Amino acid sequence: MNRLLALIKREFWENTGAFRTTPLVIGGIYLAVMLMFIITFGHFDNEFQTLRELIHFTAQQDPGVRAKFVYESTLAMSTMFSVVLAFVVFFYLLGSLYDDRKDRSILFWKSLPASDTLTVASKLLSAMVVAPLIFWAVYVLVHITMMIVSSVVVMSLGENPWTLFLSLGHPFKAWSLVFASYMAQSIWALPLYGWLMLVSAFAPRIPLLFATLPPVVFAVLQIWITFLQTFTLKKKLFGIIGEWFVNSPLIMSADNKGHDIAALGVPISSAFDHDVTLANMLDRLFSTNMLIGLVVAAVFLAGALWLRHRATEG
Amino acid sequence: MNYVIEAHGLTKRYKRTVAVDRIDLQIPAGRIVGLIGPNGAGKTSALKAILGLTTYEGELNVLGKSPARDRASLMEDVCFIADVAVLPRWIRVWQLIELTERIHPRFSREKCLRYLASTKVTAEHRVKQLSKGMVAQLHLAIVMAIDVNLLVLDEPTLGLDILYRKQFYTNLLNDYFDEQRTIVITTHQVEEVEHILTDLIFIKDGRLVLDCSMDEVQERYAELMVGPNGVEAARGLRPLTERELFGRHIFLFDNADRGQLKQLGEVRTPSVADLFVATMNGGDA
Repeated sequence: MNRLLALIKREFWENTGAFRTTPLVIGGIYLAVMLMFIITFGHFDNEFQTLRELIHFTAQQDPGVRAKFVYESTLAMSTMFSVVLAFVVFFYLLGSLYDDRKDRSILFWKSLPASDTLTVASKLLSAMVVAPLIFWAVYVLVHITMMIVSSVVVMSLGENPWTLFLSLGHPFKAWSLVFASYMAQSIWALPLYGWLMLVSAFAPRIPLLFATLPPVVFAVLQIWITFLQTFTLKKKLFGIIGEWFVNSPLIMSADNKGHDIAALGVPISSAFDHDVTLANMLDRLFSTNMLIGLVVAAVFLAGALWLRHRATEG
Repeated sequence: MNYVIEAHGLTKRYKRTVAVDRIDLQIPAGRIVGLIGPNGAGKTSALKAILGLTTYEGELNVLGKSPARDRASLMEDVCFIADVAVLPRWIRVWQLIELTERIHPRFSREKCLRYLASTKVTAEHRVKQLSKGMVAQLHLAIVMAIDVNLLVLDEPTLGLDILYRKQFYTNLLNDYFDEQRTIVITTHQVEEVEHILTDLIFIKDGRLVLDCSMDEVQERYAELMVGPNGVEAARGLRPLTERELFGRHIFLFDNADRGQLKQLGEVRTPSVADLFVATMNGGDA
């Protein structure tokens, strides 16, 4: 356990830029945009008190409408973190078993009494838990900061932030759901993670090419064969991979049934319900698709481990 | 007797070539063994097998463990430096020390810091900011701070300048080596290690062509230097090799009568380098 934690620490040290600096930059962007907004609409006196009018106008609205807006925008705020996190994890895993082979530092890592299984596990856990946890923590911190700043502005303009939005938005529920969706996504994405680690352990060079080429060839063949059989292009053009993406348990804030601004995945598939609830996330995790996905992931990961074991051959 | 490394019929095959060909090997404790051979002779393959970095055929026992199966647990008792500059370039010195401390049960932070105190390496340095020589010092400091009985060094000083190379071996001898410990070294710079070796192993085309202690080397091998007059007589004694230097002929003998040789010219013990060249060029010794 101690060794596993040490190895996870090593992953964090090697990827501090991706794991910590990146979410902080996103948070910085959010705060900067918010400040620009406040300065733009708040600094004029008397004639253009746009911000004051906006807040007064908002305060007149129905509390139910306000609550829904505050709650859903809290969920939607996670999307930028989620999308960037997905990229970070993608490239992290792609390099996870490749970089140290390339610079030969694998010879140093293999001189330490840590098994290959433990090494692979530390990398997978970094992608599944460590990176999402940091992104989520920064998301929550940025949201709290934004609420504090908003409260100060609202108070300075003579309204009560508690009745206006603080008491309405259920921030704890929203944060918890975002965290749950990150963890659900880590499991939902396991086949992809396994594939990336396999490629990372296998690729003699340019792992990105090895990771993307087979799925593209697979997709093109799938489309072509369907076309030859039916002389039509099916609606589900991207096949399994497209379905997988569309049904992701990540909050992607697309317009859902025309009334919510936050939704799980992209609400164009009817295979699952896209409302942001814990039940809908669990629904995906306890599906047949997920079960098949886990088997595929296990095969990929076993392959990655086998290759890691033999990485110093030749 | 308990051997630190024991191999019977150790063989390593790649697709088309046999890198290590049925080697038998016994290395007892308290030795400094030089494993010497030309490029592609199978040194690195043999070492990789010993360190559990590769699959192999035959029997191999390192400190009572099977390297292929138990690499991770074997690494609690074995240290190795495989080539210079394999430390990860992104890591900071303090991170490297902390990681090793957490992962290796026999690592002593105090010892490591004491070794590093005599170098220019500081805790905040990243490995990529260090010169090649400093990286070697850092790696050696880490390895020497781990209390294990077998240390394997594969070309540990390649590409370092002479000052670092000398210092590297001096530190190794003075601060590390004792009767319990065994060191296995492969290197091209034979001249620099020959004075610290206790045992010599030559490997050629995957086979051991010489495996004896340095004392035996001194007993067995003799180098004879004669002027033009003694050449024919010397050749009659069936030398292993003959070479010419400034008009004088130098012969290398295996198991020759030293008294007899002394009558012909100047006799001395050959250097490991000369012995190596003779062995590699002159068939099996």
